[in-house]
Amino acid sequence: MKFVPAPNKDAPESVVIFRINAREEALLLAMLRLYPVLENSHHRISQDPKAAASAEQRLLEESMGQQRAAHRRKVDALFQTPQRFFKEVLGERHLVLTGAQLEWLLQVLNDIRVGSWVRLGSPDLEKPASLQLTRAGARSLQAMQICGEFQLALLEAVK
Amino acid sequence: MAEISAPTTVPDTEKEQKPKEKSRPDCGYLVICWNDPVNLMDYVTHVFQAVFSWPKAKAERHMLQVHQSGKSLLVRETFEKAEHYVHQLQGYGLHATMEREE
Repeated sequence: MKFVPAPNKDAPESVVIFRINAREEALLLAMLRLYPVLENSHHRISQDPKAAASAEQRLLEESMGQQRAAHRRKVDALFQTPQRFFKEVLGERHLVLTGAQLEWLLQVLNDIRVGSWVRLGSPDLEKPASLQLTRAGARSLQAMQICGEFQLALLEAVK
Repeated sequence: MAEISAPTTVPDTEKEQKPKEKSRPDCGYLVICWNDPVNLMDYVTHVFQAVFSWPKAKAERHMLQVHQSGKSLLVRETFEKAEHYVHQLQGYGLHATMEREE
């Protein structure tokens, strides 16, 4: 997937466009089907162990749950009307996003990436040799890497 | 922080400013971002820009501090504002917490 800069730099940037091939589109949709991966209980309001039972901790978990439900609805909308996002232009397949859609897609992909890393046991990724992969672990590692690649492609548009 | 793409190191040209909040007695909460090996460096920079409306150079400086020192103090705020920022940062998947200033 590759960011396609607007031809006219002065044009209002109401949408951002990415060139995407059929395999990448299928991969992106397969990733989005995994959402959400992170548990609400993953989030911690403070490093202080006493805060774990606090009202602020509960509020954070509720807030993350509400955000995930809202993102899930947006992901569902993408599956229901894919033509709003994926368009055929002069024989090329494009992913077309508004700024707000790009922002939630980044968050959704990061949830899948971080959640997959947590499922792997939060390993130190600089020492990949230490990973003992099961079949499920290999799927999590793959999801992490694929989501990371899509995130980097999306971030090209906000640079 | 995952190093898929290396950021450009930006010279630290901004003048060191004493935080104005320090003199305000109600700003006793620190918002801290902690290092993890999974969030991409470019993504962390983007999140700091989106949440705090920081210029890219400042966002990158804090991102590099997280990566190299293990954590970065992002803002010193009131309880409510610190909680708001932590919710936003965690919504993006960053490891951020609020800690009472000693």
